[in-house]
Amino acid sequence: MKKQKGPPIIYLDNAATSWPKPPGAIAAMCAAYAAGGVSPGRSSHRLAREAEARTAELRCRLRDFFGGEDPEKVVFCHNATQALNTLILGMVRPGMHIVSSVAEHNSVLRPLHHLQQQGPATVDFVPLNDQGVVAPAAVAARLRPETGFVILNHVSNVTGLVQPVAEIAAVCRRQNVPLFLDASQSAGVLPIDMHALGVSALAFTGHKSLLGPTGIGGLVLTAAVDPVPTRFGGTGFDSRSLAHPGAYPFRLEAGTLNILGIMGLHAGLDYIAQTGREAILAHERKLAARLITGLEAIPGVRVHYAASRAARVGVVSCELENTVAEDAAEILDGEFQIAVRAGLHCAPLMHQHMGTDRHGTLRFSVGPFTTAAEIDQALAAVAQIAAA
Amino acid sequence: MQTPKRTAQTSGSTLHTPNGDVIFDSEGFLLRPEEWSETLARLLAAEAGLETLTNRHWEVLHALRTFYFSRGKAPTGAELKAATGLGLLEIKALFPGGLKFGARRIAGIPNPRGCL
Repeated sequence: MKKQKGPPIIYLDNAATSWPKPPGAIAAMCAAYAAGGVSPGRSSHRLAREAEARTAELRCRLRDFFGGEDPEKVVFCHNATQALNTLILGMVRPGMHIVSSVAEHNSVLRPLHHLQQQGPATVDFVPLNDQGVVAPAAVAARLRPETGFVILNHVSNVTGLVQPVAEIAAVCRRQNVPLFLDASQSAGVLPIDMHALGVSALAFTGHKSLLGPTGIGGLVLTAAVDPVPTRFGGTGFDSRSLAHPGAYPFRLEAGTLNILGIMGLHAGLDYIAQTGREAILAHERKLAARLITGLEAIPGVRVHYAASRAARVGVVSCELENTVAEDAAEILDGEFQIAVRAGLHCAPLMHQHMGTDRHGTLRFSVGPFTTAAEIDQALAAVAQIAAA
Repeated sequence: MQTPKRTAQTSGSTLHTPNGDVIFDSEGFLLRPEEWSETLARLLAAEAGLETLTNRHWEVLHALRTFYFSRGKAPTGAELKAATGLGLLEIKALFPGGLKFGARRIAGIPNPRGCL
């Protein structure tokens, strides 16, 4: 895939945010914003109507992209964390039991911890099996009559391993429990059809594999999922009423939308449509395999779940025997101009599970513009550090 | 030099030196960088298994502190290279514990707020 010209850096931190953005995407976003970056859905002038039309168009695109139902139940938020908070806090009821997993990001763990601390809910965190994923039977064993929902990430942001969502959804469906999916690491790279998978609600972020800018994310909800609003404010209509509107998407969208982000997300989706999501996935999987094979061949390097039979995206975590992850990342950046992420990756229970919660791991995450030559340069750099 | 006693607490530890108590966080980083001295650096180095601090060690330690107090933040790897003229792999090799748990901890500058 053609790479945009940029500074001389090998960027392997795409799980944090994708970079660079597709060629022309930032220019297209800025041009659209310069031409009509006004508040959508508020005023009745031409520019506001056009902005609203672009916003509505994006809801439809995302509904289609994720196999959702009603485009008005595509709700925009600033990021996946806000979307997940909106979903979790809006769906919890007193006495509810929730099932999640140790693989979750803090965007799920912290709202759930808050609910546990405040008392309205109890939570079971399912451990991972020896392949590094949640076993459907382990979810089934934890479902109770008072279980309100199961919430899981689609892909671990630490290991890149893909959860068996369809099988877990089948387990949930048998007990009539909705499954909510955190698609932060999968949206844009893995095929997601909520209807086919049996997912009732999905949270996404725009700035990772959807290749948009930061500041845009959201929820895609099925008819059965109806969170109580937890933010209140202006929606652009029914201004006389002091009660927040109940109609979607306004029910969960208070305040001016991020129109720049909406335009940028259009540009990201354009690139994915032109390139093909399958081609991006194949590219990233090929590079991840190259990375794992290369890292495993370096003495003193251990790749987590290298031998897992679970499906994987382009995220790989490893440890070096002679160097803590933070130092390795600092050396990769300072000596080799290679950007990676070290630490716990906001997934503390995952690192506890892996036994890496003291120093974390060194995480490499590829993107559509990563090249095989860059992977080879990263491997050579790791080999130097491991040998030093 | 007699080795001062270190007392562990839940949030870190206290080193009882002849000049007073010095408090460290749970990873052994000084809570108050201004309490650092070359004597303390020698004590911390000895605790890390480094019996002698050479000129090269002192160059790194002083570069870290000068940068921290002049810029209000610890140097990045590239900035540390520029300040010392040494490669990061060389600096890592100089200090048992490496860059963070070796050089930075002995230099007495705060524990970085990484993703931990």
